[in-house]
Amino acid sequence: MDRRTFLKMGAATAVGAVGVGAAVQRIELEAAPLPSDEAASSKNRWGMVIDLDKCARGCTSCADACRTENNVPFYGNPKIDNYWIRIVTFKDPIPNAQERQIPLLCNHCEYAPCAHVCPVAATFKRADGVTLVDKHRCIGCRYCVIACPYKARNFVFQHTEEWVNPDFPKRMHGVAEGCHLCVHRIDRGEQPACVQACADAEHGAMTFGDLKDPSSAVAGLVATSRAHVLRPELGLKPAVYYMGL
Amino acid sequence: MTTYFRTIEGRSPRYLLLVAILALLSLWGLWASWMMFTRGHNITGMNNQVPWGLPIAMAVYFIGLSAGSLVLSAIASVFGQKQYKPFGRIAVYMAILLIIAALASIILDWGRPDRIIHPFIYFQPRSMFSVNTFLYSIYMVIGVIYLWILFAEKDAWVKPIGIIAVVWAIGVHTGTGMIFGFINARELFHSALLGPSFIAAAASSGTALIILLLLATFRYTERPLDDSLIVGLAKYLRIFILVVMYFIFCENVTRSYMPALYHAERFLLFHGGQYPLAFWGGLVTVGLVIPSIILFHPRWGKSIPGIVVASVMQVVGVLAERYIIVLPGQDFPLENLPGKIIVSSPFLDGQFAHYQVSLPEIAQGVGIAAMVGLAYVIGLKVFALLPQEAREIEH
Repeated sequence: MDRRTFLKMGAATAVGAVGVGAAVQRIELEAAPLPSDEAASSKNRWGMVIDLDKCARGCTSCADACRTENNVPFYGNPKIDNYWIRIVTFKDPIPNAQERQIPLLCNHCEYAPCAHVCPVAATFKRADGVTLVDKHRCIGCRYCVIACPYKARNFVFQHTEEWVNPDFPKRMHGVAEGCHLCVHRIDRGEQPACVQACADAEHGAMTFGDLKDPSSAVAGLVATSRAHVLRPELGLKPAVYYMGL
Repeated sequence: MTTYFRTIEGRSPRYLLLVAILALLSLWGLWASWMMFTRGHNITGMNNQVPWGLPIAMAVYFIGLSAGSLVLSAIASVFGQKQYKPFGRIAVYMAILLIIAALASIILDWGRPDRIIHPFIYFQPRSMFSVNTFLYSIYMVIGVIYLWILFAEKDAWVKPIGIIAVVWAIGVHTGTGMIFGFINARELFHSALLGPSFIAAAASSGTALIILLLLATFRYTERPLDDSLIVGLAKYLRIFILVVMYFIFCENVTRSYMPALYHAERFLLFHGGQYPLAFWGGLVTVGLVIPSIILFHPRWGKSIPGIVVASVMQVVGVLAERYIIVLPGQDFPLENLPGKIIVSSPFLDGQFAHYQVSLPEIAQGVGIAAMVGLAYVIGLKVFALLPQEAREIEH
C-alpha cells in the first residue's frame, strides 16, 4: 500500500466516523423523552433541615432506609461501598468534648459543582432544585466525584446482584450516582425514605419540605438563627440545613 | 539547504522484534482496559475518595508531551530557527500520536467507554472536560493539517499553521490545567497557576522526549545527526526547566503561607508518604535540579551522554509532577465538617485514602505508551518522517 492510498483510506475512515456520529446524534435526539415539567416546577425548592440535637447516637435508621429504598450498592469494602446518606461521628476540638453524630448527604446545591463539571450534562438540576443523574447518559468519568465538596457523589465500582427493593431500578457499574432526594417519592407526595425512617423511629430530627413555601415547616426552621449550611463560603447555596452543629 | 526525507526499510530482525514487543505491550494495556470496563473499577487502586488514579495522571502527561512536541516544531516554523526544520515532521507526528494517547487514557478510564460519542453530542460549556473535548479534537485536526502541509512542502503555509498550532496548544494546556484549577473544594487543586505551569512542564518534557527520540532514531537508522543540533535543543530544555521550577516554587510558597492550607501543604511536602517522595525525589531532584546542573555545566551540558541523562531524568520527573498534581489533592480528605474533629465514618470522611497504584492501571499506561511507540516505528516505515541527515546550517 503506498502512502497516497493509506492517506485516502485514513481520510475516508474519518469522514465515515463523523457521518456515523451525526446519524447517532439524530437518532438520540429524536428518541429523547419529553421534559417532565408537569411534575417538577421552579415554584418549589425541595430542602431539608436536620436537627442534630434530636439525632440519636447509634441510630442509623435514615441510612438503612435509604440503602433499602434505593438499592444503594454495598460490598462490605469501605473503599468502594456507596452511601447516599451516611452517619459520621464527630466532636468539637475542645477538651472533654462529647461525641455526636451527623447524617451527611447530597446538599442539592443551587450552584451544583457536580452539574457544572459534568461533560455530558448527565448530572442536572431539576426545576425544583433536585440534583439528578441520567445513568443512561453518564460516561463514568468521575469528574463530579472530584468536584463535590460534600463527598456526596458515588461511583459504582463493582457489579452487584443485591436487589432489595424490586420497585426501584438497579444500576450497572461504571456510572456515577448520588442522593436524588427520593424524587420518586416526592413526586407521589411522600417524604424521602430517610426523613420517613427518622420520623418512624420517633426521633423527628429531619424535616423535609418546600423552602420556597413560607408556611412550610422547613422554611420556618431555616428562618431561625440555628439553621446553617455546611461550607457556606463556597457559595453553592445548599438545600440541606443543620441545626445544633 | 534542501532536506531529503526517506522512509526506513523496516525489514531488519531488530525492527521486527521491536514491533513485536510494542504490539504485545499494547495488547496487555488493552486487556487491562477491557478488564476495568467489564469487571468495574474495583480492580484498580481507585475508590470513592480517589476516583482518579494513574490513568488521569498519564493522560495529562501525554497531553503535555504532545503540546511540547508541537512547540518544538514551531521553533523552526514560527521562530525561524531553520536548522531544526528536519525535525518538524517527527515532532508534529509525535504531537498527533500523543494527543491520541491522552484521549485513549481518558476514555479507557471511563466507567462507560462505549459511550464515547456522548461528549460530542451533549456539549456542556461550563465543564472543562466538555470544553477540552472541543479543544483536543480541533488540536488533533490542526496537527494533521500541519503535518500534511509539511509533507506537501507548502512552505508559505508552514508559518501560519505553526502559529495557529502553538496558540491552540496553549489553549489545550490551559484547559487541561483548569480541569483541576477550577475545583474549589480541593485545596491542592484550586489554583490559577495550574494552567501556566502545565504549559511550562509540557514544553520541558516534550523537548526532552523529542531529544531522546531523535538520538535513538538517528543512531539506530545510522543516519548522520550533528551533535550541535541536539546541544541547541538542550539549551531550550534548560530554560524550560527553570520556568517549571519557578512555577512550582510560587505555587507551593503561596499555599504554605496560608494557615488554612497548612495541613494540606504539609501532607504534600512532608508526611504524605509517596507524595513527598514523588515531590522531592521525583520532581525536584530527578526532574529539575540534577538536569539543570547537568545542562548548565560547561562540559556536561554540551556532551551527548550528559544531555541524554538530563532528558531521561526530566521525562521521569515530569511524570512525577503529573502524579502529584492529580493524586495528593484527592488523597487529602475533604474539609466537609470545618472546625470539627471527625471520630469515625463508614465513608472515609476525614481520613487519608492511601491510594496505591494497581497493576491494571500500570498495564493501561504502559500499553498506551507502547501504542505510541508502535505507531511511531510503523510511521517511520510508512511516511517519510525521517530526514536523510540533519546537519548544522553553515553561517
